[in-house]
Amino acid sequence: MSLEPLDSPDADVIPERTPEELEALLGDLVLARDDHLNAPGFVIRPDTVQETLSILKEQAGYDHLSLVTAQEYENRYESIYHLKKFDDPTQEVSVVVPADKDQPVSESGEAVFRTADWHEREAYDLVGIEYDDHPDLRRILLPQTWQGHPLSLDYDMNQPQIAALPAHVNPIQDHHRDDESDTMFLNIGPHHPATHGVLHLKTVLDGEQVVDIESDIGYLHRCEEQMAQSGTYRHQIMPYPDRWDYISAGLLNEWAYARAAEDLADIEVPEYAQVIRTMGAEMCRIAAHMLALATFALDVNGDFTATFMYAINDRERVQNLLEDLTGQRLMFNYFRLGGVVWDLPEPREEFFSKTRDFLDQLPGNIEEYHNLVTSNEIFQMRTIDTGILPPEVAKNYGATGPVLRGSGVDYDLRRDDPYGYYDELDWDVITEDGCDNYSRLLVRMQEVEESAKIIGQCVDLLEDWPEDERTIQANVPRTLRPDDDNEIYRAVEAAKGELGIYIRSDGTDKPARFKIRSPCFSNLQTLPEMANGEYIPDVIAALGSLDIVLGEVDR
Amino acid sequence: MADAPAQLFPEFIVDTFGLPGVLGEVVAALIAAFVVGNIVLAFTGVAGPWAKRKITAAFTDRIAVSRIGPFGLLIIPAAAVQLLAKELIVPEGVDRPTWDLAPIILPASALLGFAVIPMGQLGPVNLHLADPEVGLALVFAFASIASVSLVMAGYGSNNKYSMLGGLRAVAQNLAYEIPLIVTAMSVVIFAGTLEMSGIVAAQSETLFSVGGFDIPAWYALVNPFAFVLFLTANMAEIGRNPFDIPEAPTEIVAGYQTEYSSSYFVLFYLGEFVHIFLGGAILAVTFLGGAAGPGPESISFLWFVVKIWGFFLFTQWCRSALPRVRIDQLIEIGWKGMLVLSFANLVLTAVIVGGIA
Amino acid sequence: MIGLMKSMATTMKHALDGKTFTVKYPEEAPDVSPRFRGVHKFSQERCIWCRQCENVCPNDTIQIVQDDQRNGEQYNLHIGQCIYCRLCEEVCPVDAILLTQNFEFTADTKDEFVYNKEQLKNVPWYKGIDPLESRNPDRSAWIGEGDGEIDYQ
Repeated sequence: MSLEPLDSPDADVIPERTPEELEALLGDLVLARDDHLNAPGFVIRPDTVQETLSILKEQAGYDHLSLVTAQEYENRYESIYHLKKFDDPTQEVSVVVPADKDQPVSESGEAVFRTADWHEREAYDLVGIEYDDHPDLRRILLPQTWQGHPLSLDYDMNQPQIAALPAHVNPIQDHHRDDESDTMFLNIGPHHPATHGVLHLKTVLDGEQVVDIESDIGYLHRCEEQMAQSGTYRHQIMPYPDRWDYISAGLLNEWAYARAAEDLADIEVPEYAQVIRTMGAEMCRIAAHMLALATFALDVNGDFTATFMYAINDRERVQNLLEDLTGQRLMFNYFRLGGVVWDLPEPREEFFSKTRDFLDQLPGNIEEYHNLVTSNEIFQMRTIDTGILPPEVAKNYGATGPVLRGSGVDYDLRRDDPYGYYDELDWDVITEDGCDNYSRLLVRMQEVEESAKIIGQCVDLLEDWPEDERTIQANVPRTLRPDDDNEIYRAVEAAKGELGIYIRSDGTDKPARFKIRSPCFSNLQTLPEMANGEYIPDVIAALGSLDIVLGEVDR
Repeated sequence: MADAPAQLFPEFIVDTFGLPGVLGEVVAALIAAFVVGNIVLAFTGVAGPWAKRKITAAFTDRIAVSRIGPFGLLIIPAAAVQLLAKELIVPEGVDRPTWDLAPIILPASALLGFAVIPMGQLGPVNLHLADPEVGLALVFAFASIASVSLVMAGYGSNNKYSMLGGLRAVAQNLAYEIPLIVTAMSVVIFAGTLEMSGIVAAQSETLFSVGGFDIPAWYALVNPFAFVLFLTANMAEIGRNPFDIPEAPTEIVAGYQTEYSSSYFVLFYLGEFVHIFLGGAILAVTFLGGAAGPGPESISFLWFVVKIWGFFLFTQWCRSALPRVRIDQLIEIGWKGMLVLSFANLVLTAVIVGGIA
Repeated sequence: MIGLMKSMATTMKHALDGKTFTVKYPEEAPDVSPRFRGVHKFSQERCIWCRQCENVCPNDTIQIVQDDQRNGEQYNLHIGQCIYCRLCEEVCPVDAILLTQNFEFTADTKDEFVYNKEQLKNVPWYKGIDPLESRNPDRSAWIGEGDGEIDYQ
């Protein structure tokens, strides 16, 4: 599974090129090959990044810059651009850009892919590679006053980070009144009722209209990548994905790690476990989308409204099921490499009937939400044609998940890059063409119905599963030591979009580099596109419709 | 309703206790105002810490305050103590005394409005403080002072969110006060008087009878179109959902009251609730026959209470279900929609009333 | 207008049906499922001091002190730092440490959350549920055969 690209349902758009053809296309740009388990990798010179990326984007159709990974080796720095196609994400290619150990400078890919902006800022912040031509190379997760780059090899963790107060940016310090401009600078957050956590939006207002908006993130940075790098593959990493997107999307996150690590260590997951995983993951998706609906209604309605409580109530029901299954309501730690930790709870019939009860109730409840929210004229007035995100812009920013599908792009890894049991089941990918806040909400609400369909089929499958074939875990060695210098990047469709994990092994039982591609991180980057020129209430609505979780943005 | 308007409350006190001269009238007026003011404040006391929570809880399938006292009613004194005992935080750079006056003006303006509201009879007492000839105009004038308070709070707080809230309040009040008053004018055309008691009396006639049951000529029944217009404009005027733009939590934090805490916050909260009840009272007087209702005249105050609490319930119902409109949409609805409709209503009413006459 | 009416009708329906989904905690505690993971319980009688739980713990919550004969002396667990991943229970070969359903615990300071082996032993079962029963329904097949009652107290 890991080495061979899977058959894709709609690969006819741009013909797939073999690695050799790609190498020929890039010609002299390629210095060497550095293949990853998931994709061919081409090593290029650090000053040809833009050229290479634009050839791959324009001529070979690799239009999705999924992730930029940066890391430091003993003798060099390295940035990896993980490229995919929106039409067929199984076609992948990695562009490996080594940079000088003493003076790590590399050309920025921002001119080709807008999304590289934040990714490269993060690479600069945490690893210390400097990107030429980057429009705004500042730290993104850590404070501007931070000394050193925490993921570089010579970083001294015990060095005190003391910054004098004047060294900090004071947002009101250069606040000045001049006669020319009649704009107002407004800090929205980090403590604000509608920022869904600790997000800081620096907005410039003209009247009530937004002229400029910039997100300031990093308040919830918890060194998740570093923590994963100091945990063992077999056990210690799995509890943490639950805490990236902590809005009960835990199983979806766990799956991202499980998929990458299983492909890295070549572990085959039993089918029975795949079905349970699929069912659990979709329950999580329902829970996550219910909260998205709830908070979005809260952002637009503005008070502690009924919609919020009803959606939370429905979410409770899914969480009860998940609690029965996994033993926890949010931080599940249910997946293990090679399967899941427990079979369905006994008595199984009771679990099935509880799940079916929930599924039976769901259509009525969704009808209620439509009555309450989407058919409400004021709600439509507020959300239709606000927060516009055209599909091309969304792709350029690497937006994924309901945000991208709300812009009419048919991209869902569950179908396009199948994993688990999804390709055996009957369900649809939802898209809406409105590109606005309303479409994104509609996508989420319909996805809940699709998830319910999937769960229903899984329950049927599980019920009829022969008793002696109920293997929940593959035979996995107690200590996993993948081969030295294997690299893999794998993504799954999490509640918010494409959640990818890059792992580089170094022959020990802990990853040498663990990089998380957070969908919220890329999605949040689109906010200025949606917000500029709109009113403050629309900015709040747009932010709500992005459905970000700061725990995942900042990691 | 009796032909002769009942004796006003201050006059009743003068007569009952035999208070002499001008001084007696002043004392009587103060006593009467004190009583009426406290009745209104008691409403808000029940509404704010208790009823609002209970109502919201009912809409959202929750239990809400239930632990202190029967039905959790003792939360009212508990909340009062709690709110007043908190520290009053005065932010740096606030514009005093503007900042201090704003929370006093808001409840004061709303309470003043009740001076001319005929609240019906309770036993021998007619709870009506004053009945000037320009009563209806006066009550609108009093109620509009509230927006001055909001601007003062927004401007004085030295906070950008407050400023935005204050400016929004002005824009909203301008846009909705005019349709509100123009719609009220159509009632005046019907009643032929601005006097509150006159408007109430005009609604006591029988519109038609169904099976021996007299349907009174309440203007809500005579002109339901104007009633809906007035109701909408009234919601905007008192700043309730879907028109809670000046506060707009989630957008501008809490609008003009962002920087207020402790007793100042209580005053704002109080002012808003008194304002809701004043809105309900105006609605009751102009469209719902004042304190009129079945049963003896001496309990008509109860009907009045039912009506203004009904209006309060309605505001909470809207709050549970209706999203907030955007500020530009609000202004557009106000100037392009409500104003035009209210003038159309006025002209139509004038033509019809004139035609009948 | 019709949409607005529908919205208002929906909320009114909920208001009038009188149903509530919140409960009066603590008088009425919600049921936790048998698999729920709460505070740990530790049995010194069962423990063989193999230190696997200490090794597997992702964030160093468990601290074991042994004397030079490798006899166990202390078993400390910081229940305020624990992330309740249940890996310690999973690796334990003798079921000496397990997670009860008990989620109700308070303390005045963080330090009080560091439980020693006596405190861990005294953690009560939540509503008398023995969690292992539901987590490993067939555990009698591979553990405790002939041992009689498993005694954590």
